[in-house]
Amino acid sequence: MTTGVSFDDLVTVATVGVSRKGFSVSELAGPAAGNAGATDAADPAAALLDAAALLTVARRAGVRPVPCAARAATGGAAGQPRGARSERELPATAARLLRRLGHADQAPGFAAGDAGLVADLLGAVRDAGCVASAPLLPELLAAAARTRALRPAVVPVLGERGRWLAAQRPDWRRAVTQETAGRTDDGGPGGDGAGVSAAEQEIWRTGDRDERRGLLASLRRRDAAAGRELLAAGWAKETGEDRAALLGMLAHGLSAADEEFLEAALDDRAGPVRDTARRLLGRLPGSAFRGRAAHRAAGVLRAERHAGRGRLVVTVPGDPDEAAVRDGLSTTSPVPGIGPWAWRLIQVLAAVPLAGWTARLGPPPAEIVRLPVANDLALYVRAGWRHAAVRHRGSAAELSEWVLALLEADSETRVNWPQGAWVSDTALAAMLPATARAERAAALLAAARVDDGMGAYALSAEVAGIPAPWPAALAGAVISVLARSVARPVLPPLPRALLGSAARCLPADGAVDYAAELTLLAGTCPRDWSALLYGAAETVALRRAFLAELR
Amino acid sequence: MLALAPDDSSRRAAATLGRPAPWDGTGAAGDLVWGLCAGSAKNPYQVIVELDGPAFKCSCPSRKFPCKHALGLLLLWSAGTVPDLREPSDYARAWHESRREKAERASAAADAAGAGQKDTAAAARRAAERAQRAASGLDDLQEWLRDQVRVGLAAAATAPAASQAAATVAGPADMAARMVDAQAPGVAGTLRGLSGLARSAALGLPVRAAGGAGVRGAGTDQAGPAAADGAAGWPARLLAEYAMLHLLTRAHERLDALPDGLAAVVRSRVGYPVSRDDVLARPAVTGRWLVTAVRELTDGTVPGRRIWLRDDGTGQWAMLLTYAAPGGAWQDPRTARLRPGTEVHADLHYYPGQPPLRAVPGSRHGEPVAAKPPAAPDGLDGMLAGWADGVARDPWLTYWPALLTGTPLPPGRLAEAGAGPAGCGADPRRWYLADQEGNALPLADRESLWTLLAVSGGQPVTVAGEWHPDGLAVLTAWHGDEAVTL
Repeated sequence: MTTGVSFDDLVTVATVGVSRKGFSVSELAGPAAGNAGATDAADPAAALLDAAALLTVARRAGVRPVPCAARAATGGAAGQPRGARSERELPATAARLLRRLGHADQAPGFAAGDAGLVADLLGAVRDAGCVASAPLLPELLAAAARTRALRPAVVPVLGERGRWLAAQRPDWRRAVTQETAGRTDDGGPGGDGAGVSAAEQEIWRTGDRDERRGLLASLRRRDAAAGRELLAAGWAKETGEDRAALLGMLAHGLSAADEEFLEAALDDRAGPVRDTARRLLGRLPGSAFRGRAAHRAAGVLRAERHAGRGRLVVTVPGDPDEAAVRDGLSTTSPVPGIGPWAWRLIQVLAAVPLAGWTARLGPPPAEIVRLPVANDLALYVRAGWRHAAVRHRGSAAELSEWVLALLEADSETRVNWPQGAWVSDTALAAMLPATARAERAAALLAAARVDDGMGAYALSAEVAGIPAPWPAALAGAVISVLARSVARPVLPPLPRALLGSAARCLPADGAVDYAAELTLLAGTCPRDWSALLYGAAETVALRRAFLAELR
Repeated sequence: MLALAPDDSSRRAAATLGRPAPWDGTGAAGDLVWGLCAGSAKNPYQVIVELDGPAFKCSCPSRKFPCKHALGLLLLWSAGTVPDLREPSDYARAWHESRREKAERASAAADAAGAGQKDTAAAARRAAERAQRAASGLDDLQEWLRDQVRVGLAAAATAPAASQAAATVAGPADMAARMVDAQAPGVAGTLRGLSGLARSAALGLPVRAAGGAGVRGAGTDQAGPAAADGAAGWPARLLAEYAMLHLLTRAHERLDALPDGLAAVVRSRVGYPVSRDDVLARPAVTGRWLVTAVRELTDGTVPGRRIWLRDDGTGQWAMLLTYAAPGGAWQDPRTARLRPGTEVHADLHYYPGQPPLRAVPGSRHGEPVAAKPPAAPDGLDGMLAGWADGVARDPWLTYWPALLTGTPLPPGRLAEAGAGPAGCGADPRRWYLADQEGNALPLADRESLWTLLAVSGGQPVTVAGEWHPDGLAVLTAWHGDEAVTL
């Protein structure tokens, strides 16, 4: 043997067994060569182990680095040099508080259940002009990849470093690209000026659906016509799913110039494409689509004098014709318990903005909603109006008048229709401006009984929907609900349902220290549930500390 | 911190109490932390923790020790929400003083007992007996190892007992038990670490492992000897480990003929006990010791940690090894506050052996303070030269301290970076750390590598950790002045 025994040779012999294969060593490979004589001459098994030990030590001690191009070490391989020093990083103390509030301090990763709270905190980071600190980025990106709801909060605080990091991992990159696609401000794949750059053409041809959506969105914001033309050019070759996903991007920079294309999409083979086209056409003032809807609605509802008082008379629409079906009216009711004729009425009313009725019928919304309706059809009319209120935006002042009137009209009745037919109070109230919404919620809380289990659910959902931080009136109302409950031996349903959102949404930066108020209440309530109040107080206190760090 | 908890329910309870809400009048001064915790009694509980023990005192009726209040207070303190005060509160001071008196009385009693002069002759006899027992145990081990390669590693692991001679039936776990009897705990630990490897042989796993990634997690994190030959298949790794044990038995045979330093290495690898007092009696090395990295050891029966220290002035390294004591505290409580990025001016006493690494802390000349980020002393080549030198003095060495500056590269990036011959030999599935001189070393696969990448931003970054022959475990990265634990 001229090259000497290698370690692999020894492994082969040892695996099969010296007793079967036999072994003798004369020379050893590599740096151990000089020591072959040190091996045991008497026992081949010992000799093998001796040789293996020599070669193992030689190999461990002789580990060499892998040669690489020097530019690998200066960022050339992992991307462009990063670390823009102009961006202000979240202070380390604030980062620690964020991890604690998101329960990322005990086990790695932000818990999905804390997504709302974490999103609020990240919003504050963005508003303070900070970006997430580097050690925090992987956990934030992992959370964004896992929890879609967190993406709008995570992406704006990534900063240059975070965007670079996200590009290093497919799952993170996808989460960020998808989010960028849906956003209205700057971002998305490169390119500027009018027209489609070569790089964009390439992405459009080879990218996945999310990348193409992102590209189309950014192109639409820059040059709406070019975006529409790009989509139209390959329209026939796209799959139904792609057509629906891409068509939705026309929402960016939507204008009358898009009407023709959208109108054609009403005849698309794929249902989702037709739905998207209807949604977009409905938002286009002066479109033929809206004209047709207004025409259909005009024949359905008229005001008249009856027995000396005003009332509304409904002409139930007949079976929809072909054009009406094309515009989205269905012949059968998808909602159990609602007959076809009632469904037709609701649909026709839902298709036109409420502002039209104010103009057509004369009196202000509050009076219109109060008018009696012939043949006991009032509930169906209001059902249609509720749909119209959440579907069409318009003048905010007029819309909120309508919403308040509709909420008032059914405040006493509890309508038990299925979800698809009746827009809930919560969804309707969400159309109000934030202050009006908070005032309404505060009034409801002030009137609510703390142990009404059914009401607690709906009311707490409504309160939780009001964006943080809550206005003082609402915060006060929530605290007062808790104060009304401290004498109870068990925590009643309403405060129990409110506590979670209270911890997250009570103002944490104003003159009133709600953490102190909660702690005070916790000191007076029964021990069995004081921990819940202490927990909420702690969350508010940590949020206060966090916001203070940002200033 | 929660490792101190006596059971799971205490741990959960402590997590709830580790929040500011139920606490009042908390404070910390020196090694004392105290506070009042609202509980189920009329008066709040007085809770006191002495970190230098740690010792606990709480006025609650719980029989658990430490109770949830004390743990909660510790959590609170570790979260940085306990204010530092100049003077302890009255109840804390009273307890502290009574405790100190008790300790003084106890040590006086111990001195009195010591004055009775241990019988040195008896001690020598015990040592000789021990050496005899170890020698005979290692003889058995030597024979067992030879049997393994005689029969063949595959057959020894899989063959049914009946067809084997009695000696070869024993697996590494049985042999480990034998080594415990022989009072060779170091060897026993190595053998226990190998039983998993031998099992994979029994399961008939492929002879070549799937690749570097095959040792993900378990292998690299336990940093045990089994991990040392990463990419190779199980027979190669088993043979390497058996060979190193064989080398140890042969070295032990001629223990008296070995140079002092090497003999000390052999004794420590076999597991001869060295008393802490003996180590403390060795010369002190004073330095400003920067904690570069802390390795949590979670694979053993007791949790432990390796704390790596470096004196920037002399470039000297040291390692403190500490384990959780049965009561839940760290055996060496003074190490509990040593976190990466802190520096402590203290005396260290090295264990006998070469190269000097393991040490125990002696007198302290100041509290741990936050330190400036260190400058990496040398490149990858320099670190490897130190490692090779270390292996030359202790062939059983499996890890080595590292303080480096380099750019982390995610899997596949090294091949991209290295055009032509450069970058060849790199595993496209592994992370690497590249330095400015055109060298790269593989990194041990851990989820926190993404944090390392984030901290680097694709730029060179100062990192500390442990080098193992199959990869560098990065444990700390400096982000500006902040030492980020990975």
